[in-house]
Formats: sequence, structure tokens, C-alpha cells
Amino acid sequence: MRIILVCAAVLLQFGLGLRPLLTHGYPSRWPAVAAFVVLACVTAACCGWVLRRRPLPVALVAAATPVVLAASFCATAAVAPDQRFQAPDWSFGLVGWHLLVLLLDRARVLVAVLATHLVASTGLFLAAGVPERAAFGAAGAAAFGALAVQLAVLLITRVLHRQSHEATTEAEERDRLATRMLAAHQWERDRHSVFAGQLGATLPLLAGLADGALDPRDAGTQRRCALAATQLRRLFAENDEVPDPLVHEVAACVDAAERRGVDVSFAVSGAALPVPSQVRRELTGPVITALSAARGRARVSVLRTDEEVRIAVVADACADVVTASTGRVVVECGVHGEHLRLEARWRKRPG
Amino acid sequence: MAQEARLSAVIVDDHPAVRAGVAQWLVTGVPPIEVVASGGDVRVAWTGDGATADVVVLDLHLGGPTPALGELRRLTEAGRQVVVYSMRADSAIALQCLELGALSYLTKAEGAEHLIEAAVAAASGRAYTPPALAGALAGDRSTGRPTLSARETEVLVEWFQSESKDFVGQRLGISPRTVSTHLEHIRVKYAMSGREAPTKAALLARAIQDGLVQLDDL
Repeated sequence: MRIILVCAAVLLQFGLGLRPLLTHGYPSRWPAVAAFVVLACVTAACCGWVLRRRPLPVALVAAATPVVLAASFCATAAVAPDQRFQAPDWSFGLVGWHLLVLLLDRARVLVAVLATHLVASTGLFLAAGVPERAAFGAAGAAAFGALAVQLAVLLITRVLHRQSHEATTEAEERDRLATRMLAAHQWERDRHSVFAGQLGATLPLLAGLADGALDPRDAGTQRRCALAATQLRRLFAENDEVPDPLVHEVAACVDAAERRGVDVSFAVSGAALPVPSQVRRELTGPVITALSAARGRARVSVLRTDEEVRIAVVADACADVVTASTGRVVVECGVHGEHLRLEARWRKRPG
Repeated sequence: MAQEARLSAVIVDDHPAVRAGVAQWLVTGVPPIEVVASGGDVRVAWTGDGATADVVVLDLHLGGPTPALGELRRLTEAGRQVVVYSMRADSAIALQCLELGALSYLTKAEGAEHLIEAAVAAASGRAYTPPALAGALAGDRSTGRPTLSARETEVLVEWFQSESKDFVGQRLGISPRTVSTHLEHIRVKYAMSGREAPTKAALLARAIQDGLVQLDDL
């Protein structure tokens, strides 16, 4: 768009402006010539950026706009007062095109500058004395004609600009959606494999029960069932969209134990903090083990500060519970009289 | 004072069933506490028999979503011994209640045993720290918090995790009585920090009288 405007400015300046400048008699010719040269220079300077399809630098715009206005003022002042807004006043319409090239992206500034230009030109026109009605009408028509075309160009540019912007946004949104769909498919595939992996302990248990190889009355089988049920509950809870996933998963384990008839007292202290899902698995693993071993009563607590998470279970459980610390989560396990105490700790930053 | 008479309490809770349950716990507890007034509005603690009750058991959520912290502040500023009994196990709110001068903060998940202990302690101007409150204190990272010793923090965490002073004692190799002393000492430290409240000053005076802290510690 700017390229067309630059071409228009060049064509108008040399096609329509040069002839009156050379042929008409001016009271003082040199300000008009100087203005013509200055305007040509501004166009040439703009060409440097416009032809490379780069936006005009702010400094250039800020410097060139007053220069263009001043040149226009000089050129208009050089014209005899009775010939203003007529053919010898070549600068009035032309300057508008220069301003369009400079300020196309800044519509409000452009309108303000054009208005300033119009007011200054009209001021000069009226300063020479009140003109006749016919001259006044002709001047008005000339000014209106020039400005209307320039404002129309501005309007069309804005509309085109907005439409292209909308099209870009829509294309970006479509791309984003496509990426999200791909990610969701990938996530679903991963989930399937994770589920299959974690169901590993449950499937042989179910098969054993179905074949009659395992006796449901046996305490060991009941322990394995309790463990598998709690693991499954935690696994289901892992995929829920909740504000506090850690507490949600621990609560799922507590719920599974309560369904078995264990009286669980559950307390949480401190605000939610982001815990990676793998760390959550490692933190809740010992909780599942201890809770599925509990006979009648258990206390589960989650203590959180900004830097640390501590989950503890104190339960009336038999001693044969095996848990191991992982790299990130430290598990401490001990038997105190009738009670089993187990604590899993995770420090946000090691050290 | 008429301490030889039975201890008295006023219950402020918007649920009639909770009022009835708490009253039953207090009346049948050891020592028994007489419930002289109860109602769904804090006015029962300011008028009639409620105005002279030894302990105010205050529900923090009286029918609205905003906690009745203003009501709590007015009660503690008048020197009333308040035990907050709340639905919410929110650590920040619990710490705020202590800051305002409540002698204890219990969640409704904590049962009769803790409520009776808290009410009896409050009636004589002493603080009681139930396990949930211990958890809130152990996780306290606010800037104005008092400095606790490593052993005190250990006691808070173990008490929160096990709910049993015997178990804490066994784990740390101290007597259950020493566990209680540590908890009281922590509460005195909290009473000495933050904003002033008549109940906090009374708590300090009581701690000096009990030999928990020396005058030089202040």
C-alpha cells in the first residue's frame, strides 16, 4: 500500500506540480523551489524503507512530518494570494500524499496533521482579505476534493489492515487447535500405556481369584486386594482436573481405606504447591502401602511449606511393610509398639 | 472468682445440631462444663448468661462466606476466652485467629476430646494446641513468626502427624507431659509476637505463674 502511495506522491509531484512551478509567475520563486526540492527529498528518503518493505523509523517520521508541513507552508506562501487553492498552488493537495506515506500506520496523528495543514492553508487564504464568494467556493471545492481522496485512501487501508489481521489470528488459532489435538492424541496413547503398566499387579490378582488359585478368605489375599483397590483409586484420581492434585490423590487413598472399614483421620496443613506427577506417585506410594496394611485406625497428614512436602501415616498395622526411598522422595518407616509410622518427604530444591 | 463453681460456656454456631452436639460433649466431659447459653448469633455471648460465661465456643462461619474475624476480635479485646471451632482447616485462618487472641483453634474434624481440653484450658486462660493447629504452626512461614527451637518444631510436626502425645513422647524419648509443656511454650512465644490482645497478656501472665517462662524471657 505504501509503495502505491509513494508512486502516487512522485507522479503527482512531478506530473502536476512541476509544470505550474516552472510556468507560473510567483512573487518570490525560491521558497517554492526549495519546498519542491524538500518534498522530493522526503519522498526519496521514504523510498529507502518502503521499497525494502520495512516500517518507517519513528525518528524519520517525527522529523519529516514538520518538514513537510513547513515546506507546504512556504510553497503556499509563495503563491499570489488570489491564486491560492488553484493550479499554481501545487503543494496543497500534494502534501497530503506525503503525509499519507509518513503516517499511514498512525491514523489519529495523520488526521490531526491533515487538519492542521488545512487550517494553516485556510488561514493563509483568509489572511489576504475576505475573498469573493466564487473564489471561496472554488477554494472549498479544491480543498474538499483533495482531502476526500486522501481520507478515503486512509479508510480503505485501515479496513484492509483489519481484515488481514483477523485472517492471521484465525489461521493461528486453527494451527493452535491442530497442535492441541495432536498433543491430546499423544497424551491419550501415553495414558493407555501407563494404565497398562500400573494394572500389572492387579491383573494376576484378578486372574488368581477367577481361577480359584487365590482364596478370598485368606488374609494375605485380602491385603493384596486392599492394596490393588487403593492403587487403582489413586490412579483414577491422578487424571482428575483439580486445583490440589496431591491432596486429591491422598484423599482417594483415604477413601479407599475408609471403604474397607478403617477409621481414618485426615488432616492437611499449608497451601497447595505444584508437585510433579511422578513425585506425587512416589509420595503417595508409601501412603497406599501403609493404609492398605492398617487394621482399624489410621492418621494421615499432609504438611506443606513453600519448600517441603511431608506426608505421614500412623496406623495400627502389622510390621511387614516394605518401602524404599527413591531419588527425590525420602521414605522413613518405623514400628512403635502397636503402631506403624511411615513418612514420605520431598524437598522442592535438593540440598 | 467463682472458680469453685462449675465452669460455664456459651456456644455460638449457626447449626442447631452442632450446638446440641457440642453442648452434650461439654456437659458430659471431665470436668463437666455447663452450657449457659447458645445461639446462631454472636449476641448470645454478649447478653444474659452468655455475657459472663467462662469460655466462648465460636463457629467462624456464621451463615455467611466471610469468617467472623471481627466478632472474634471484639470478644478477645473484651478479655473473653475464645475457642474457635471451625469447618475449615485453613492454616492461614487458624494463624489469623491466634493473632487476634483466640486461645485455641479446632477444626470440626477434631472430636470431643480436643474440644473439652481446649475449653477447660481456655476457662483458666491457658492455650490449647490441637493437632490441626500444630500443623498450621509447623507450616507457618510468615515474616512475623516467633523463632522456634528444632525440638519445638519436631514436637509440632509429630503431634500433627500422630494426634497422640504418648506416641510423640515415645518417638522423641520424652514424657507426654513434656510434649504438652513444649506445646504451651510455643503458644507463649506466639502470644509474645504480633499484635497485642488482652487474652494474650493474660496467657503470658498465666505462663509466668505456671513457671513456663521467666520474667527475663519477655
